[in-house]
Amino acid sequence: MAALGARRLLRPGWRWFSEAAPGAPSPPVSPLYPPVVASITAKSKAAKWRRLERFKQRVHAAATVEEKLRLYGKLQRPKYMVYPQTFALNADRWYRSFTKTVFVPGMPPRAAAAKPPVAAAGATPEASRAPEPGAEAPGAAEAQGPAKSTEPAAGVAPYLDVGDLRSLAFDALLQESFYQNKKRPFLYRDQDHTPGPFLTQLVSTLAAFLSGRNPLLAASSLDLKPEVNYYWHHGEEVVVHGHRKGRVDPVRFQIDDNPHLQIRVPEQLPEVVPLESDLGDVPVIDHKPSKLPLFKKQYENKVFIGSKVADPCCYGHTQFHLLPDKLKRERFIRERLEDQIEVVYRSNGIASLFAWTAAQAMYQGFWSEADVTRPFVSQAVVTDGKYFAFFCYQLNTLALTAETIKNNPRKNICWGTDSKPLYDVVEDGKVKGFNDEVLLQLVRFLLNRPRVV
Amino acid sequence: YPLFQRGGPQLRIFRPNFFMLAVRPGVPQPEDTVQFRVSMEMTKVDIRNYLERIYNVPVAAVRTRIQYGANNKRNHRNQRVKKPDYKVAYVQLGQGQTFQFPNLFPEKEQDSETRSFDDFRDKFMEKEKQKQEDDPRRGGVPDWFGL
Repeated sequence: MAALGARRLLRPGWRWFSEAAPGAPSPPVSPLYPPVVASITAKSKAAKWRRLERFKQRVHAAATVEEKLRLYGKLQRPKYMVYPQTFALNADRWYRSFTKTVFVPGMPPRAAAAKPPVAAAGATPEASRAPEPGAEAPGAAEAQGPAKSTEPAAGVAPYLDVGDLRSLAFDALLQESFYQNKKRPFLYRDQDHTPGPFLTQLVSTLAAFLSGRNPLLAASSLDLKPEVNYYWHHGEEVVVHGHRKGRVDPVRFQIDDNPHLQIRVPEQLPEVVPLESDLGDVPVIDHKPSKLPLFKKQYENKVFIGSKVADPCCYGHTQFHLLPDKLKRERFIRERLEDQIEVVYRSNGIASLFAWTAAQAMYQGFWSEADVTRPFVSQAVVTDGKYFAFFCYQLNTLALTAETIKNNPRKNICWGTDSKPLYDVVEDGKVKGFNDEVLLQLVRFLLNRPRVV
Repeated sequence: YPLFQRGGPQLRIFRPNFFMLAVRPGVPQPEDTVQFRVSMEMTKVDIRNYLERIYNVPVAAVRTRIQYGANNKRNHRNQRVKKPDYKVAYVQLGQGQTFQFPNLFPEKEQDSETRSFDDFRDKFMEKEKQKQEDDPRRGGVPDWFGL
């Protein structure tokens, strides 16, 4: 019996255990086994990498920007609080290394070259100005020159009268410091007493005056004492003590800034230089940020431009910062730290503008794994009431984490000027030593708009 | 001595009873930062005046902290032995000056005599070791193994 059965099994031609006949097309076979990947829960570097990848996929796949921001700042850990207005020595060098920013002294070429056709101090008649704008600007004043964005609108008079602007500035200054009867400022409240209200008044009147020429200003939103926050990772460090001792963590930073005034617009400012341009070097500092000194705290990881995501004015135009009493010029001169005066202005400009532009980019859906595809440009004016410093920032990259910064040749660029006085003194209802250049630069900033295509 | 008031003649001079000890930082510090161990009673203002007036060192910023000395060690009578507390000051120098703590124990150059003595000693030790080795013809087999 068994032999019969065995012979039947061994009969040639009967392959009951082999494949189907060769030559026939095999049907598409789904993989028999799941893909061989690292574990998710193991205590290994591959597992950590897989968890990070899953987190990045989650953020990439988030439906709305609010969801992306929520996931981005979900994990709370101790982070360095970066203050834009700081008394730390050489803070601007440290801030440039944290934000991968190149500092270029002076204003960007487009702002320097295109002077608005402004009447000279001695009022010249309008007829003589008419041929000049045609020669200066790359288009007649009537046909709106699209390339240079600082020209006035064609509908209104083709030139700006410096006398009007000066009278506006004088009004604001004299009202706050001379005409209005104020008591003595409280201790360490000097800045809130006179320069603060003066700045608010000046900017709001200038913006209202220039909104006829710059339709962007007419559609803008002026915020008073807004809040600007940004949270990012840069570099790596080993955790020193605690239950997570020995692990390699990214270095986390948070900027919480309160500019005095802010102008937000619905359209983005045009780029100043192409995205991949290299205008200098970023300082590399090997020491830990706590040597600056910078301190760590754990709290909410907030990313905010001044308004929520649904606001139509989601791009930034200009910020105005007022330096506090702690960072007065006299204090630095008394302690013989004259070179730190400019450092204060620069660090404020770089840190605040980086936070604002990066938060604007995050509101558009970009983050460190999804780098920006177009540069984000914003401007800022840092002042202590009398001295003004102007800054322009172009954000080219958000990829600052240890892994994404390796093959990233892009750098952020910040243009900035030294601080110049707007006036010398205010006496007896007269302003002495008024500086027109500063006012004109301010007007140029406010008139900045995207090129009319 | 008459009571001193500001602007009056300075008839007495007080020398401070403080000492400042410059130490090598345990963690790397920026180039313009010098680390000192100072007396617990000194303040930041005291440290700044001390360095500026006695040593003419331009000081830009001073930060201090108090290091707590541990109390965990025990002596032969099981009493806790405290290490003393001390104050550490981090001084940032002004006018762009930098400071690097010097290497106090550099490696000495070897003279020719000591080098030849070392060679002689090494050769002597080699010869001693060779004397104690077994007969190489036995191939590592100990000498008690045999008939």
